[in-house]
Amino acid sequence: MIEGVKRTGTNEWEIPVGFIPGMRVPGRFFLSEALAATLELGAVQQLANVATMPGIINNSLGMPDIHWGYGFPIGGVGAFRLDEGVISPGGVGFDINCGVRLLTTPLAHKDVSGKKDLVDELFRRVPTGVGAKSSAKGSPKSLDGMMEKGARWAVESGYGTPRDLVRCEDTGAMMEADTRAVSEKARQRGIPQGGTLGSGNHFLEIQVVSEIYDAPAAKAFGIEAGQVCCMIHCGSRGLGHQVCTDHLKILEGAMKKYHIALPDRQLACAPIQSPEGKAYFGAMAASANYAWANRQMITHTVRQVLGKMFGIGYEDMPLVYDVAHNVAKMEEHLVDGKKTRVCVHRKGATRAFGPGSPDIPTDLSDIGQPVIIPGSMGTSSYVLRGTAIAMERTFGSTCHGAGRVMSRTQAKKRMSGKEVAANLAHQGIIVRAPNENAIADEAPDVYKPSNEVVGVVHDVGISRLVARLSPIGVIKG
Amino acid sequence: MSYEELSHTADVRMRIRAPTLDLLFSDAFLALMETVFGKDRSGGYKKELRIEAEDTETLLLDFLSEVLFICEVEGLVFSCADVITEGHVLTAVLDGETFDRSRHAEGTEVKGISYSGMAITKDTNGYMVDILFDV
Repeated sequence: MIEGVKRTGTNEWEIPVGFIPGMRVPGRFFLSEALAATLELGAVQQLANVATMPGIINNSLGMPDIHWGYGFPIGGVGAFRLDEGVISPGGVGFDINCGVRLLTTPLAHKDVSGKKDLVDELFRRVPTGVGAKSSAKGSPKSLDGMMEKGARWAVESGYGTPRDLVRCEDTGAMMEADTRAVSEKARQRGIPQGGTLGSGNHFLEIQVVSEIYDAPAAKAFGIEAGQVCCMIHCGSRGLGHQVCTDHLKILEGAMKKYHIALPDRQLACAPIQSPEGKAYFGAMAASANYAWANRQMITHTVRQVLGKMFGIGYEDMPLVYDVAHNVAKMEEHLVDGKKTRVCVHRKGATRAFGPGSPDIPTDLSDIGQPVIIPGSMGTSSYVLRGTAIAMERTFGSTCHGAGRVMSRTQAKKRMSGKEVAANLAHQGIIVRAPNENAIADEAPDVYKPSNEVVGVVHDVGISRLVARLSPIGVIKG
Repeated sequence: MSYEELSHTADVRMRIRAPTLDLLFSDAFLALMETVFGKDRSGGYKKELRIEAEDTETLLLDFLSEVLFICEVEGLVFSCADVITEGHVLTAVLDGETFDRSRHAEGTEVKGISYSGMAITKDTNGYMVDILFDV
C-alpha cells in the first residue's frame, strides 16, 4: 500500500489528516487486498485533496472502484455542510448525471440467442459515437422541458409510462433545476442530442439474469433468473459538458472572492449558499434532468425495437431502476446523531439508500433502493440494494462500476478492437461500435474485475448483492 | 508537431512540447482533434477565433473548450490551426471541413478539458504542458 495510508479493517483504509497539508478530515476508502494492489498514488492524492475542502463532513470517501480522475477521484464521495460547505463541479465531473438504468423483458435467453439482427437494429436506431445526432426533432421548447421536468417531460411527450418515473432516482427530475443558469452555448449543444448515447464508456447492453443472490429482493425488483434485460449507460451529453466547462470558469473566479485556496484547480468551488454556488447547482440540476430525459428517450427506442421484433407489449418491459452516478444532491443524513441536510457529491459513485428511506419507491421500502452496477464490456453487471450501513457510513453511497486499471494507451497496444470483438464473439457476446478503437479502449480486462468490486461493497455492507447479469449483446458508444 | 499520449487510467492525458507558446497551443489543438476525430482530416474551410483569459493556462483551456463547442455545434472537423498569442489574448485561424461520419468517427468524444495538473513550463528546449481530456 502507498506509504502513509493506514489499514483500519479487512476492506478499509485511512488517509490520515496530514497526508497532505490542509486536510480537514481523514480520507477513507474501501478496497480488498487484491484491489489495493492496483490503487494509484494519483487517486489517493485526489482523495486527500477533497479532504481539504471547506465544510467537508466526517471523511473524504472512496468506493472500491476508486481510480485516478480529475478533481475528485472517480469513486469519490464527499458530503458538505450547507452553512459553511462548498459545491464543486470537480465532485460531479463533465458528464453530469451520467447514469445507468435497467429494463426487464418477458424474453428468455433462448428467444434472443444468436439474434445478431437485434443488436444491429438497436445499433442502427440508437445514435452512438462522435457526431451522432438525434432522430427526434429538438427545439428550444423541448429543451426547456427536458431541463425542467427531466424524465417526466419524456413520458409526457410519449417516450415512456408514468410507472417509469417512480423507478428513477428522484423520480427522474431534480426540482432545483434553474435553466437561467444554463448558457446559450450549452443550450445549443443540448437541442440536437436528445436520445443519443455518446461515446467512451457509454453503452447499451442486452443481458441475461444469470444468478440470483437475494430472491425476495429480486422478486420485489421484478427480476427473474434467465430473463433478458437491457442496460443503458449514458449522461447529459454536450449540454452537461458545457455546463461544467462554463461554471468551472465562474467558480475559479469565485474562489478568489471567497478566499478559498485548494491543491487542484479542477476542485474550483464556491460556498453552497453563494450566488455562484447556487447558479452551478441550478445548472447542474437542469443538466441532470436532461440526462434522465435522454435515458428515457433511449428506453423508448429500445422498447420499440424489442416490441416490433419479438411482439411484446411496451408495458411488458418495465424499468427496474435508474441511478445517477455523477451528481451533487441536497439530502438529509445523520450528522453527529442529528438529521441534517447536507450537499453530497458523488463522482463515479451511486446512491444506495437503505430500507425505510422516504426517497425510494414505497413498494420497495422494506428492501432498499435498487442499485445498478455495470460491469465492463463482456463481464457481469450487478443489481444490488441499498442498506442502513450505507446510510451510516457513506452518506448512502456505493460503487458505480468496475473502475479502470489500464490506460487507453496500454489497452490499444495490447490488443486490437478486432481481436477483442472476436474473443467476445467466441463467448457468445455480439459487439457493435462506431470504430475499432472504441472496442479496444473498453476491453474487459482494462477494468478491475466487477465481481471483486461488488464483493467489497457487499462485504462492507454499503449495499448487498441481489442479482448478476451476463451480457449477450453490446452496443458501444 | 509534437504531442504524445501519456498513461492515464481513466482519461486521455497528452504531453505537448513546442519551441514557442503559439506552437504549443496549435499542437495541443491537434492532439485534441486527433483524439476526437482520428487522423483523416483535411482543410478548406476557415474559421477565425479570438479568446481572452486571465492567465496562459486558462487561455489554453478556454481555446480548446471553444474548439470543442464549435466542432459540435457547427458540425466541423479541423486539420490545423494558426495560433497567435499576445499576452493573455489569443487569435487563431482554424482550417477544417464538414464532419463526415465515414471518415471522422475514428475517435472518441472529449467531454471537457481539465484544469487538473495543467501547468505550462518553459526551459531551454521550449514550452511543455500536460493536459487531460475527459473522455
